[in-house]
Amino acid sequence: MPAPILPVSSIPLPQAIRPAGQAAGGGFQDVLAGAIQRVESIGQNASSTVERFLAGEGEELHTTILATQQAELSFDLFLQARNKVVSAYQEIMRMQM
Amino acid sequence: MLQPVVGQLERYMDLLSARQKLVASNIANADTPGYRTQDIDFQSEFLNAAGGSPHVAQVGDLPVKNDGNNVSLDREARLLAENALRFQLASQLMKSQIRAVRSAIQEGK
Amino acid sequence: MSLFSVLSVGASGMAAQRARAELLVENLANAETTRTPEGGPYRRKDAVFESATVTSPFASIFHSELETMGGVAVSSVITDAGEPQLRYLPGHPDADKDGYVAFPKINPAEDMVDLMGAARSYGANVSAISAVKDMIQRSIDLAR
Repeated sequence: MPAPILPVSSIPLPQAIRPAGQAAGGGFQDVLAGAIQRVESIGQNASSTVERFLAGEGEELHTTILATQQAELSFDLFLQARNKVVSAYQEIMRMQM
Repeated sequence: MLQPVVGQLERYMDLLSARQKLVASNIANADTPGYRTQDIDFQSEFLNAAGGSPHVAQVGDLPVKNDGNNVSLDREARLLAENALRFQLASQLMKSQIRAVRSAIQEGK
Repeated sequence: MSLFSVLSVGASGMAAQRARAELLVENLANAETTRTPEGGPYRRKDAVFESATVTSPFASIFHSELETMGGVAVSSVITDAGEPQLRYLPGHPDADKDGYVAFPKINPAEDMVDLMGAARSYGANVSAISAVKDMIQRSIDLAR
């Protein structure tokens, strides 16, 4: 006796392949914006610490210097990271598809 | 381009210069009969946002010698050192601000 | 007043103190001088200081007002016009008919202390010039 014919069910399509950039882009953009924010606020903090010190409002000398150094370092670090990302991006763009 | 703190640093250094000039005059006239010690009110001049040349005043409550001179070399020597150190600090902080912008321009290369 | 003119202020202080020291040394050296070319014993000299305007050597070159108040200058040298000190020394070559010799009215201990004061003030002026020079240097360094 022949096997019963099963009704045809639809084949589930694989998830639509989104362009690689988008998903990664969304997440990475946030990371970048966050980093810029952090560097910005460290810099702002340094500036206002210096202003308070100059006005004689009780900021200690070492606190002031450390704040400015922190700002400088975080900016430099950010700059280096950004340069690395840019060169990685350029390398990817150079790849032959 | 440069943060507002740079304006403050400049004003700080201006006032320190003015003060140091008066200290030098006081030292030069330490033995001049009738000469009275001169100074500026650093705090209020700095907090006074208006700017411009600071107001020079004679310093009260300093002991007056027989010849009418009231310069105390100890006071002036102390101020000389303090002003010099503060100026050093301010110029370092200023350099730091300038470096930050230059580093951004040169993109860390 | 720029910081450069302050260097002139310090220099004027050094010059004035040096003049003062020179007179004090002259007094000390002649504390026992009973005979001078002008006749009579040595008479002590004192410098009188006065606030003065000082000009920077660059003033003429820049045609600018680099003159500044706050310096000091020796306005005059005062020679003691009082009566000399008389000591009874009949055998002395400069004795008068009564055997008294006229000596300068100088107290060496006083002038020694004064000399130390002049040296200290001189040093303070040197420190001032040094400090101002450093400030000028740091201002220049901002451009590096």
